[in-house]
Amino acid sequence: MPRGAVFGILGPNGSGKTTLLGIVTDVLKADEGAYRLFDEAPSAAQRRQIGTLLETPNFYHYLSAYRNLQVAASIKQRPEQDISRVLEIAGLTARQHSRFKTYSLGMKQRLAIASALLGDPDVLVLDEPTNGLDPAGIAEVRQLILELARSGKTIILASHLLDEVEKVCSHVAILQKGKLLLSGPVAEVLAREDYVELSCSNNEALEKLIARHPAFDHILHRSDHHLQVVFRQPPDLAELNAWCAGEGIWLNHLHIRKQSLEKAFLQITNN
Amino acid sequence: MLQIIRTEWLKVKSYRTFWVLLILAVASIPAANFIVAEITETVREQAQNKIPVNLYDFPLVWQTMSWINSFMTAVFGFPLLILVTNEFTYKTHRQNVIDGWERKEFVLAKLFWWLAFGVLALVITVVSGTILGLAYASHPFSFEDSRFLLYYFLQVEVSMGIALLISVLVRRAGLAIVLYLAYITLLDQLLVLVIKRNVGEIGGLLPMQAADELIPFPIIDKFIPDTNRYDDSVYLMMLLVYIALMIFLVFRKMLKTDY
Repeated sequence: MPRGAVFGILGPNGSGKTTLLGIVTDVLKADEGAYRLFDEAPSAAQRRQIGTLLETPNFYHYLSAYRNLQVAASIKQRPEQDISRVLEIAGLTARQHSRFKTYSLGMKQRLAIASALLGDPDVLVLDEPTNGLDPAGIAEVRQLILELARSGKTIILASHLLDEVEKVCSHVAILQKGKLLLSGPVAEVLAREDYVELSCSNNEALEKLIARHPAFDHILHRSDHHLQVVFRQPPDLAELNAWCAGEGIWLNHLHIRKQSLEKAFLQITNN
Repeated sequence: MLQIIRTEWLKVKSYRTFWVLLILAVASIPAANFIVAEITETVREQAQNKIPVNLYDFPLVWQTMSWINSFMTAVFGFPLLILVTNEFTYKTHRQNVIDGWERKEFVLAKLFWWLAFGVLALVITVVSGTILGLAYASHPFSFEDSRFLLYYFLQVEVSMGIALLISVLVRRAGLAIVLYLAYITLLDQLLVLVIKRNVGEIGGLLPMQAADELIPFPIIDKFIPDTNRYDDSVYLMMLLVYIALMIFLVFRKMLKTDY
């Protein structure tokens, strides 16, 4: 994974995202294969340099948030002075002395994020970090990830939420049933075609005409109401309208659209 | 290791259930022995001193206390069970490794408690024995026959070793406690009886019984010596073998399994 990248791991439920991260954090034993951390054979010392939130937040229910972070700081060998900073980032300062078991799902998730940020690690592994958060919380966490990315940290983000990955990631890998399907910059992997939706009083005639357009590529879909046409370059709609009128067809509907992210993703995972 | 102990301390420092269990375990030693000492003293008084020995006189006190305590090794097994199964319940064993412990360090953290509780049981027994001895004894303080303390210490370690192994294998607190109690209080004794009757003295080598064989009831063992039993060194060796085996199995399980 490139240093400084926000690397998304995308895949449907059960595709192996958490399993992959579990292997890298030594909580699961791989049947085969190998991995390296910081270009070296993996060890606990390197795990201490990585802030990780894996699946569900795991804390001692009977301890307060602060005391839980004391335990985490002790294992990570990071100074306790950093605890108040990460609690502030997670918005938990006011409730830091409440026991973990009294926390709501969203607060537990925030505490897990705070724990991952302890000691300001250069690499973060975040598995479904917006799980259980309300819309405001989701927006906050995404903003936080973007800020961390801007400050030069390498972030590995596993998610089944497509728009989450598209909004925050620079790179993405797509997994399905434990296999790597695609990997690379988001714009390349999740490339989506623009298409033009158009119709007139006689769509059959329109279809014949549009096939003669110099930039025509293919018909994406045809319905009773309109045609969906893909052009080699995104066309200027006014020009397209004038061209049709010049050929004697008057359009009553003309709209440029982007293929949905879900559709693009399904295309990748179906092939 | 200091870092591990410090982390474990942070986990229990404000954990009330743990402290209640530990205080009960610690208190049970002086409490049970005080009761027995008072009863035997009353019996002796009623018998108008026709019973020539006092169970809590030096040096007999060490054997008496080791024998009495040997019925209560489970009191130290419970806090250990709770500490270990909690980690699985809360999945914090997983988080500890994610945060940067070696799996080996997680096992060492639990072995720390295993050893610490054993040492604590030994220290409390020595202190309580000294106090009870000074209160009831007609002879001066003596550490003669203190080998029984060593046998008791090893029995507590074997008992807690069983608790640790069950916790690691079963992972659920409720089931682990039931299985542990069932083994310590019933199953071990039952197997001993069956094997001794049908096979022979080898039944005395079972984990809890091996130490029981080393700590016979005071005085009676002098009048009715058991001629069939193995030499003390055999039982002693078995205790060490059990401890080594349990530590090995706990490491093996925790190093190989998925967390």
